[in-house]
Amino acid sequence: MSISKDKLDSTIRRIFAEVFTMQADGAPAPDLAGDTILLNTGMDSLGFAILVTMLEEELGFDPFSLSTEAYYPSTYDEFLTFYLGNQPA
Amino acid sequence: MSFLDALAHVDPERRAIVTAAQTVRFADLVQAARGLAPALTGRHLVLNHPDLVQAVTLLAAADGQAATVALMSPQHAPQVLAPLMAELAPDLVLSLQGVALAAAGLQSAIAGDFAEIAVLLPPAPTQTAQDTAWVLTTSGTTSTPKLVQHSLSSLTRTTRSDTARGRGQVWGMVYDYTRFAGLQLVLQSLLSGACLVLPPQDVALDVQLQFLAQHGCTHLSATPTMWRKILMSPQGGSLPLRQITLGGEIADDTILASLARAYPTARLSHIFASTEAGVGFSVTDGKAGFPATYLTDPPAGIGLRIAEGRLWVRNDQVGAAYLDGRGAVSQDGWVDTGDMVEERDARVFFKGRESGVINVGGNKVHPEEVERVLLSHPMVQMARVYGKANPIMGALVMADIVPVADAPDTIRQEVTAYLRARLEKHMVPASLRLTNGFDVNAAGKITREG
Repeated sequence: MSISKDKLDSTIRRIFAEVFTMQADGAPAPDLAGDTILLNTGMDSLGFAILVTMLEEELGFDPFSLSTEAYYPSTYDEFLTFYLGNQPA
Repeated sequence: MSFLDALAHVDPERRAIVTAAQTVRFADLVQAARGLAPALTGRHLVLNHPDLVQAVTLLAAADGQAATVALMSPQHAPQVLAPLMAELAPDLVLSLQGVALAAAGLQSAIAGDFAEIAVLLPPAPTQTAQDTAWVLTTSGTTSTPKLVQHSLSSLTRTTRSDTARGRGQVWGMVYDYTRFAGLQLVLQSLLSGACLVLPPQDVALDVQLQFLAQHGCTHLSATPTMWRKILMSPQGGSLPLRQITLGGEIADDTILASLARAYPTARLSHIFASTEAGVGFSVTDGKAGFPATYLTDPPAGIGLRIAEGRLWVRNDQVGAAYLDGRGAVSQDGWVDTGDMVEERDARVFFKGRESGVINVGGNKVHPEEVERVLLSHPMVQMARVYGKANPIMGALVMADIVPVADAPDTIRQEVTAYLRARLEKHMVPASLRLTNGFDVNAAGKITREG
């Protein structure tokens, strides 16, 4: 039973905002457009690492370890598509 | 041959170091170091300056003259550094943190620029030139560092001093030069006559990558975490790389395959290095771990074996030693790296540190240090800290805690805020789980396996 795109999108946005605010000592998270370069949001590697871990706790999977393809998403759309396309079978 | 003699063998007109502030040629470095060298004879020196040109000038002047040159990261807090420096009783410290170091109790002379050294240290006619000890610090930025003694020859064991080879090579520098990996990179670049490019610090990664691309960076060495960031960065693709090196963390197949695809013409190496053993070797087949054949047919100058599930190395040449003999590092020439390894399918894979130290993107975190801070919180009764594998940073710190009986519902937020005020970001557990109790092993210790 895979998770829908809308559900993934809202979950990632919510947890991104949570991690961003925590890492930025309370500053509000920026809006994410499809073509937003994730690393240009001000979130650093540690923030992304925490995002991936919190998403794993929430969604029950980590697409980076499930993906057979070696890939690091650069934009928000790529990130979402990566999560959508690498759900557990 | 001293470092300075080696630099003098390079074409003097070649660029040696490019920073945002200046470009210096080999001739400039040699001239400045020659002027400085007589004042350093027999001296004990500490290098703590953030500027690479200052650092290299001092190192070139000191090697073969000074008794000791100790490299200490400008990223360490002055309160941590001052007692460590005092232990060495240096004649001179080169640092921009002079005021703070003096306030923290350091009594030595402190220069903010190498040009001030001749005033502070007049040449001493009674001193004689020495085989210089190069002293480096181990461990992370918060825990108390340990001092490890090397020499130029032990640091450059794997370096070929072939200045023809470096022609046209431009080495990017994203490491701290006071660290083992960073210093090796500086020495390798300069001794091969290549140009070393240091991007501006404290700016966005894209700006740093743009700077490296503009200066034609062909060789870049970084941690797997940094490489993942580079691949996620729009400027990453613009680097004209011919040699990609990964070190400081375990390189997995995903990052190696991604780099091979992003830079199809570049040579790809991942490095294993042990500061304690003063040993490093590289693997160039683009796959994680190293071939099991290295156990019987090791890279030149070293020996490798597996005992008690850990990797042991033997350095056939000069070995390193902790200063003051604290912690004998060598037994019959074999040094325990503390890295747990596993042999599988004719390959040896790294499984993490035996000590439980968590490598968060190249930063080493001692679980005990995080546990200590957790336990200092009045709502925490018991704490267990461990690492969890992570595809972006290699590993993250996780914690389970047993709260006190009357802990409020907001305990996780309160404890997290408490930790964030006391620990560096990468040391704060990414996840804090509440639990009722832990398994305790026969020795009465909480089991740490996550």
